[in-house]
Amino acid sequence: MSAPVFVTAAGISAELHQAMMEARGLALTAKNARALAVRAGSRTVGFRAITDFIEELASNIISQSRIINNHAEALSNTAVNAWRTEQAYRRLAAICASDADHKASVEPQAQRCGQQLDELQTELQQGLRYLLDQLEESRKHMRTANLIATSSNVEAATAGDFREQLQVIADNIRATADRIGGHLNQASRLLNHNHRERQSA
Amino acid sequence: MKATILYEDGDHRWIMFGRDPGTSDTIVDTNQYLIQSGDEAILLDPGGTELFAPMLSAVLKYVPAEQLTRLFASHQDPDIISSLGLWDQALDHATLYAPDIWEGFIRHFGMTRTRYHAIPDEGMSLTLGRITLQFVPAHYLHSPGNFHVWDAKAGILMSGNVGGTMEGKGAPIWVEDLDRHLPKMARFHQRWMPSEPAKQDWIRRVSGLGIKIMAPQHGSLLKGAQVDGFLRWFEQLKIGSAVGSSLR
Repeated sequence: MSAPVFVTAAGISAELHQAMMEARGLALTAKNARALAVRAGSRTVGFRAITDFIEELASNIISQSRIINNHAEALSNTAVNAWRTEQAYRRLAAICASDADHKASVEPQAQRCGQQLDELQTELQQGLRYLLDQLEESRKHMRTANLIATSSNVEAATAGDFREQLQVIADNIRATADRIGGHLNQASRLLNHNHRERQSA
Repeated sequence: MKATILYEDGDHRWIMFGRDPGTSDTIVDTNQYLIQSGDEAILLDPGGTELFAPMLSAVLKYVPAEQLTRLFASHQDPDIISSLGLWDQALDHATLYAPDIWEGFIRHFGMTRTRYHAIPDEGMSLTLGRITLQFVPAHYLHSPGNFHVWDAKAGILMSGNVGGTMEGKGAPIWVEDLDRHLPKMARFHQRWMPSEPAKQDWIRRVSGLGIKIMAPQHGSLLKGAQVDGFLRWFEQLKIGSAVGSSLR
């Protein structure tokens, strides 16, 4: 059985929360790198310029993750409402199809419930599409992160006495970017899996 | 949903969830607790249906769904466990630990996949990862079938309604001044708790536990000397206040 949409959305929210925490670590790394680059002086001018990009990247990832996280939480709520409405609709529809004497008295409610379910399903579909788009947008940040990590390695190699310390920072940037990428990939996997299940249902 | 880590020692952790800004002010604010040890976790008093979505999102930030295989309901009230039908869909192979006498009632919230483990009146212990939890009888405080959860290693007692207040989402996580806080507790305990003998019996049993944190299901948490201060106050408090009130 596939996970209900509300579980998938909550799972995506959790992955993005982790990505956000990693991005906060990245912002801290950028600050450390900047301090080190200042101490290292002219030999690390290139590295110092890169730290601006790292900080900007971290800030972008944090805000993007926050948007997706909030959206996924709201979507989970919508999915719960849809599930509850569907449960009610199934029961009301069964009564309307039965030979109960007063079944006509609940037909308007069944109809309203059906309409509400349609609206919630539409909202869910749109919300899931939006999530897919936002996750795709986040991938651009990952490409930037990889470029920055590569540049950091290059700049670190020419930093003389500070080479080793800057190398550690460069490695840290790459490792953090990889972990953020991992969370985004997992979120995408959850979403795509659920999307496929819904299309084949 | 706000998450607060109450205790952490290696992979043994208590997290409190509550004060959800998205929840309507017209429903009672509740505290939910997650205990983790090793790769196992239990969610205490998971909350009402209205709270389910933010709770699930908050919980999954700390533990994957496959590790959350245990739920606990201190008693049968809707703010405790009316979300059961949704957790039932969200969790595979889950077991609900809840009072024996409430099984037929709690099942009304809907459970087709979850197993009901009835806690006998005398309580029981549960191994969770590398720790042992005690389900401590707290009958008539307030429900006729009621349990608290004691974690001796962490020194935390999840005390259900006992020690709680109805302060809403603005309540601080920790009690700041016990003397100012106690009057806020009075009416809740007097009106909700019906049995003086049950109260005294419970105080006698928990007084010797060495509680470091008392974590109620509503309102702020007590710690350190506040716990003993509360117990002495509760000991003197007259409860069951609704009896005869309709005759006056």
